[in-house]
Amino acid sequence: MSDPHQSQQHNTVGTRLWIVIPAFNEGAVIRDVISGVRQRFPNVVLVDDCSSDETGTMALQAGAVVLRHPVNLGQGAALQTGMRYALARGADYIVTFDADGQHQVEDIPVLIERQRETGADVIVGSRFLGSARGLPPLRRVVLKTAVLFMRLSSGVPMTDAHNGFRLFTRKAAGKIRIRQNRMAHASEIVEQIGALRLSVAEAPVTIIYTERSLRKGQRLGNAFNIVWDMIVARMRK
Amino acid sequence: MIIQWILVFGLGLSLIYSVLQRGKSRLVRYPIAITSIAGIYFVLFPSQTNSIAQWMGVGRGADLVLYCWIVISLVVSVNLQFRILSLQETTTELTRELALRSPREPRKNPGLADAEVESAPPQVRSTP
Repeated sequence: MSDPHQSQQHNTVGTRLWIVIPAFNEGAVIRDVISGVRQRFPNVVLVDDCSSDETGTMALQAGAVVLRHPVNLGQGAALQTGMRYALARGADYIVTFDADGQHQVEDIPVLIERQRETGADVIVGSRFLGSARGLPPLRRVVLKTAVLFMRLSSGVPMTDAHNGFRLFTRKAAGKIRIRQNRMAHASEIVEQIGALRLSVAEAPVTIIYTERSLRKGQRLGNAFNIVWDMIVARMRK
Repeated sequence: MIIQWILVFGLGLSLIYSVLQRGKSRLVRYPIAITSIAGIYFVLFPSQTNSIAQWMGVGRGADLVLYCWIVISLVVSVNLQFRILSLQETTTELTRELALRSPREPRKNPGLADAEVESAPPQVRSTP
């Protein structure tokens, strides 16, 4: 506890907080992202989903614990790995954070504060309650449609279902089991929140889209893959 | 006719396949069993098959057998898709276990408080 700022942060949170960052080929930005997070939150685990660039090394140099998947599995799988690690390290709270710099470190305390206020098991960041800078109109329409679809299918009222910025309490993180390796995990998490009867609240967050993150991020065609993955998952039940 | 016996043999194999799927998805087992039995019947009794086919609106009995075969193939491919998924889950678990067994810790960790960082990697329990 050499740094007074951190011990203060520790007191504010009151408990152990781990930041889980799934990453795939984010070597260009990952060092800045992790340094930014670690200035305020020391416990960061990066799950390197078999990147072909220097993502893992960069993250390690920036001070994160690095877990590496020997084969590429997808973001959902990386999240689950990171969450399991954080739980094993005794995390009381887990925040999932994107590696590409879309999420803002200043919003993490907003999620924590919201958890304190509401006592909810899961806090989901909402760009539609907060702001989404640089969000292309077509993508906005797709996201909104997905939200409507999720509301109808899971019964969980949310304004933004596909945001990777979330806070889980230890209880929630221990119950949720992400089986969708690819991108359908966002919908899967919402479904599980509904099915496990976890309480959920939303917090306004800012998402900044850069040209890079848009290029690397979800293509619209992927929406079909997501729907397909979900249909197959339902048929298997 | 030779073709009858070839077809009966093929359909018989798919009937055995459906029996071997015991304990697996009902969605797969029953449709295959039913279509196989129906297929064998159609092959062995072509004249009756013709009248059934006409009654169902299919031109010839041979077409009816073909349609049965198509249904079987579809069901088998769904079954294969499920198997691929469960294999994928196994791979995921293995990969995750490997990743969790060898965390790379930052050498110097001024941010992390106390001995927490220095401690040995945690024993991660496998999922129940």
